[in-house]
Amino acid sequence: MKRKLNTLLVILLVTSISYAQMPIDGFMKKKGSGSVTVSHSYEDYDEVFLVPNKVDRVPVFDEVEINATTLYAVYGVTDDINVVVNLPYISTQGYASAASQENNGFENERSGFQDVGIYSKFRAFTLNTKEGRINLIGSLGVELPVGGYDVDEGLQSIIAIGNRSTDINAIGIANYKHDSGFFVTGQTGYSLRSNDVPNAFLNQLKIGYAAGSFYLDGFIANQISEDGVDILGEGFTGFFPATQVNFTRVGLNVFVPVVSQFGVSAGANTYVAGRNLGQSTGFYGGLTYSF
Amino acid sequence: MKSLYKKILLTCGLAGALISCETDSNYDDELPSIANIAVSNSNFSVLEEAAITGNVAVTLSNANPNDPSGDYTVFAPTNAAFARLGLNEDNLGVLQQSFLTNTLLYHVSNGNLPSQQIQDGVASTSALGIDRRFIERDGDVYINGSKIVATDITAENGTVHVIDKVMIASGGNVVETAIALNDANVFVNPELSYLVEAVLYADLAGALSNPDANFTVFAPNDQAFIDLGAALGLTFTQPSDIRQLDQSLVTAVLLNHVFADVSASNFTSELSAGSYDSLGDDDITLGAFNNGVLSVSGSGNASPANMVIPDVQTSNGVVHVIDTVLLPVL
Repeated sequence: MKRKLNTLLVILLVTSISYAQMPIDGFMKKKGSGSVTVSHSYEDYDEVFLVPNKVDRVPVFDEVEINATTLYAVYGVTDDINVVVNLPYISTQGYASAASQENNGFENERSGFQDVGIYSKFRAFTLNTKEGRINLIGSLGVELPVGGYDVDEGLQSIIAIGNRSTDINAIGIANYKHDSGFFVTGQTGYSLRSNDVPNAFLNQLKIGYAAGSFYLDGFIANQISEDGVDILGEGFTGFFPATQVNFTRVGLNVFVPVVSQFGVSAGANTYVAGRNLGQSTGFYGGLTYSF
Repeated sequence: MKSLYKKILLTCGLAGALISCETDSNYDDELPSIANIAVSNSNFSVLEEAAITGNVAVTLSNANPNDPSGDYTVFAPTNAAFARLGLNEDNLGVLQQSFLTNTLLYHVSNGNLPSQQIQDGVASTSALGIDRRFIERDGDVYINGSKIVATDITAENGTVHVIDKVMIASGGNVVETAIALNDANVFVNPELSYLVEAVLYADLAGALSNPDANFTVFAPNDQAFIDLGAALGLTFTQPSDIRQLDQSLVTAVLLNHVFADVSASNFTSELSAGSYDSLGDDDITLGAFNNGVLSVSGSGNASPANMVIPDVQTSNGVVHVIDTVLLPVL
């Protein structure tokens, strides 16, 4: 069963969406094996991290709901080189009043394919310890806008589905897995971004258990943008991609193999702090086929 | 197992060092912009909506390019202030956008004007280019007819004072102001149409356009004229119906709506209970100053008129829109 799970074990793609959850983890697929996951996530928020204070209502839209359906695939080119592809379709729903829509021309829905992410992962170093193993992994990826979505609609773009930025992400990963199944993964990365989106540092720490009949992890992740303007602050022109988006986010992921090569995943996550983004809480469920 | 926990702890520590957490307290030393103050305070939600519709939200997020200090001073009307005009987040669309923008700019001035520099009788030029004046009364300070209810909220790009009434400036003289309302340049639906017709019928447009005068005018709204028609046994369905009345009577009645003293106009904050000479034969009697308004009556009114839109600043006086025509004893 353990072997089976190791084959099935997927990189759990954690939902959402625009704000750079890295679709990369600390485990490698063996040559010729891989998995395909379809997941659906839901998140919503009415509180927004502005500077200096959080506000309890989304300007214009009152409250925002985000649904995302994501196709995620990983494949082992060799035991030490994997490729990962990630493509979300996102729908956002706001709740601007009828009067606000009429007076300002706002619309309460935006949807479309967002950005396709294509990553390579390379295992550079493995050290077998007495009771486990340490892997050092490097990843280089690109995120490209593929949908025709708009980001320059002024305050309407509060519910834009992305930033229309081409990102180049370089990520370093250290993973320790104990023979008992406990593991710890630390990631740190840097994201080069276009379309006036500030470059950012991306970090994640994940602690979990992967053995026998299930997989479970808990994570804390953050993004620290290098510069950028604050919403409604000096330099703000109404162009949201140029804002300095920082956050700290925590969450849980579960994966259970069900039958044969199929497994299901589920998770939840929320923002505990942030700058220039909604304090959303989200949930997702996914179905994975492994080969 | 002990070594496992050590390793986990060590890895956590390293990762923790990488993750410098984002917390609310990171920004405690930063000031909000004026726009942010409006968005952050639920008492300014109508102002927020107005700023969005009037296209000044981004302007008030940034430093003021028209002042060396980079600052603005904003007199911010509360939701209750908008409600006095019947305005809320859902019906701001009754105002024309250009009028809304100009109205907001009338609440803004360049540079910092802290409360200790606000003194009775001092004028302050708005970003609209039209002056406002400060008035002290019974220990309160007013800007035009609006009471300043909180002062000196410091923003990154200036200062906010809170007021209890929306300030309105038409940009035109008394007659042009009435015509602007009549032509739906203020409200989407025309207002003061009967008054404009009456002023033209009575041939008073020239006199009320005198740029050297400082009129105090009580302007009956359309419903006031329709009610007057009904009281006289007539049915007014359109402004020209006012011409069913004798021209000399209309002229006499209209002159009873303007203070005889045209040397200085009066906001509500400058008015008190009492009897005032009008340009006509009758006197204008004001009730007590109460919550920013006064009742108004002529000698023939069974019940006094109420102010529905007080303190409209025009280029040659102040207009208070009222809900009843002031009548002499007929």
